[in-house]
Amino acid sequence: MKTFLLACVAAIVIATAAGFALNAVQKPAEQAYSTTGVRL
Amino acid sequence: MARCLARARFIIGAWVILLALAIALPASAQRNPDGSVNPTASAVKEQQLLNALQSGGSISGRVSIPDQKSANLIHPAGRDWRQFHEVTLRWIGAIAVLGMLIILVAFYLVRGQVKLESGYSGRRIVRFNAFERFVHWMTATCFIILALSGLNITFGKPLLMPLIGEGAFAAWSQWAKYAHNYLSFPFAIGVFCILLMWIAGNIPNKVDVEWLKRGGGIVGHDHPPAYRFNAGQKMIYWIVVIGGTAVAVSGYLLMFPFYATGIEGMQLAQTVHAIIAVLFVAAMLGHIYIGTIGMEGAFEAMGEGTVDVNWAKEHHALWLEQEMARTGPNESQRQPMATPAE
Repeated sequence: MKTFLLACVAAIVIATAAGFALNAVQKPAEQAYSTTGVRL
Repeated sequence: MARCLARARFIIGAWVILLALAIALPASAQRNPDGSVNPTASAVKEQQLLNALQSGGSISGRVSIPDQKSANLIHPAGRDWRQFHEVTLRWIGAIAVLGMLIILVAFYLVRGQVKLESGYSGRRIVRFNAFERFVHWMTATCFIILALSGLNITFGKPLLMPLIGEGAFAAWSQWAKYAHNYLSFPFAIGVFCILLMWIAGNIPNKVDVEWLKRGGGIVGHDHPPAYRFNAGQKMIYWIVVIGGTAVAVSGYLLMFPFYATGIEGMQLAQTVHAIIAVLFVAAMLGHIYIGTIGMEGAFEAMGEGTVDVNWAKEHHALWLEQEMARTGPNESQRQPMATPAE
């Protein structure tokens, strides 16, 4: 049970880190595909 | 007279050149700079548009925003892809997943649980150490969430949305999509660890052929010998490694749109990702069945890390011999029944 819980925690930690990393390198579609003249 | 003739020749020549230009200019106006047909040209013919759509072609206009892909007006291959993920994929997924569930239920009703025929000896032997179980459970828990959130993409709209409503389905799907994207990373790490951790025991050999010929002890009550992993487990291992790698690579192509490929490549990646994923889910249902209710004593191997010596003798006799030779015959007796391996 301890190993299972540790595995779940590790998955959440890695997923959270991946979430921050993805948000740092990717932009939302409305930003990525709009001109500078668009005010969001 | 000669001057009149020369002047007439000049005028006729000028008219011919003007006429040629008048014919040529509308034809060039019908084409974009890249050679594709410009549908907004005043003199474009319907047949030209139809011809341009043949054999994977497309019709594009002109846009002023940075994303030039949005200039694409008609791309018939997109309709083929929509037909795949709206119809064909649902049939493949339904047949694979429901088919496997029906087979497992029928098998359980006919065969029942594979019992430990010699009973529990009370002596335990370590089957998987703490790190192996950690990697297995990290990959497995991620896989279950990836499978549910992935099946939601294919089956959620027709099956779940009518039950919970559009608002709840939208909120659930958004969070499921986040979970799908982010949990793919620990899943991919887990698959890589599994590849390295267990590859030595999963190379096919002659024992596997004999194991398969004798039905693996699943069909009937035979107990063909096996090393640490039998042929069935080896199949699961390679499905996880190859299937896991395929869904990870195709998934990351979709997660980073247009970084590595165009729209055709992304449609292909989605097709590969979806088909392998539903087959993967079906295979894992079989794995979960035999690891839990399908075989007495099997879950303890990954749950506690140890198995009963009699269980090892019945299902992995060659592995047990190796372990006894390595650690000594009395090693297994030092582990009381309820003691976890960590």
